[in-house]
Amino acid sequence: MPELERMLTQLGRELDYPKTPDLAGTVAARLRELGSQAAPAAPTARARRLPRLLPPAGLRRSLALALIALLVLAGTVFAAVPGVRDAVLEFFGLRGATVERREMLPEVPRVRPLRLGERVSLAEASKSLSFTPLVPATLGPPDAVYVRRGVPGGEVSLAYKPRPGLPEARSTKLGLLLGEFRGDLAPEYIGKVAPQTTKIERLRVDGARAIWIEGAPHFFFYRAPGSAYGVTERSLRLAANVLLLEGGRMLVRLEGAFDRERAVVIARSLR
Amino acid sequence: MEDRPLDESELVARAKRGQLDAYEEIVRRHQTIAFRTAWVITGSAAEAEEAAQDAFMKAHAALPRFRKDAPVRPWLLTIVANEARNRARAAGRRERLALRVAEERRPGGAVPSPEAALLDSEQREGLLVAVSRLSETDRRAIACRYFLELTEAETAAALGCARGTVKSRLSRALGRLREQMEVAGA
Repeated sequence: MPELERMLTQLGRELDYPKTPDLAGTVAARLRELGSQAAPAAPTARARRLPRLLPPAGLRRSLALALIALLVLAGTVFAAVPGVRDAVLEFFGLRGATVERREMLPEVPRVRPLRLGERVSLAEASKSLSFTPLVPATLGPPDAVYVRRGVPGGEVSLAYKPRPGLPEARSTKLGLLLGEFRGDLAPEYIGKVAPQTTKIERLRVDGARAIWIEGAPHFFFYRAPGSAYGVTERSLRLAANVLLLEGGRMLVRLEGAFDRERAVVIARSLR
Repeated sequence: MEDRPLDESELVARAKRGQLDAYEEIVRRHQTIAFRTAWVITGSAAEAEEAAQDAFMKAHAALPRFRKDAPVRPWLLTIVANEARNRARAAGRRERLALRVAEERRPGGAVPSPEAALLDSEQREGLLVAVSRLSETDRRAIACRYFLELTEAETAAALGCARGTVKSRLSRALGRLREQMEVAGA
């Protein structure tokens, strides 16, 4: 090999490349979440439908695209210890969720897949949860249903593709992501941390307590079950506009790029 | 119980049968070159990570169409490069590729292996400066072919051009580097 080319090859071996992320682990996790244990050569009907809803580079990625802070940082920032409490400007609470407005937010986090749990049918979801999922009558059946069983009573996520009146949200690439779980069994399961530029409003929806969060994206995370203040690294992401609703035993969360009025109309139609 | 690493065609066969562990091993074997190739194309570690991740997802979906005995690396790199180029195009810009020598290779750092002696610090810095003066197109060609040690075909896939174009681009870039090195050495 001529001298210059040999020198270039040697230089290449001495360069400071960015650290290679654990792609194998992340990709395997994404595939497991998609239920891809089945042979790719013979996808099930469910597996064939899924990429249309969650294509690898599109919606799937969008569901997946979550900005995640490092675990240590998350633990430090969000741990509800007195010293950190000083940085909280406002505090809002529902049974099942807390919302804090803080002066300082975590730094730019890493991109990680968002985990909604196992994909199931609506009927299967009802069987495996301690409640019957509420479906917005105004929208009809969801395009995809996911269940997570790690939280007491279970949690269901209903995904609706964008459509007129439900524009695509950057955080999820969905028209609506509707989450439901037993707020009475997991009183602090959802945590939200918002900057000063995010609007946070208390309101009532047919008498039920609710919180509307709009504007600058806020951080959203799940508290690890069994740990009152622990935050799992994988659960932290940025979220779009959100309506949190305390309906009886349930805590319902609607996320999307819609406005407050639209969110309230959808929430009112939950059956 | 297996006590030897599986060869790649066996891993592919298992992955085609739906064994996720086998596909995970394939990704593990190629993730560094895939990520670095995406990084050379996009100039951004974050974009490269997303591109490589999505590319491996697409490759998994395409496994049924992959011939069992075909080489895996060029196939994967083609998918990764496509994904990375699409992202760079969609973003409407590319980050300038920031090339630096690793800390331990810099003067004053530990000398970890005899290979380090192949380039003295002056040569290394001079060459890096010369490469950094190349156009983005030429720099990426040099980076793929020599820094990442991709084959000509892989470089063509990474850059989204014909092999002939790679040859002429490299020839032009090497010529410019020689000129610069001569000027610097004069």
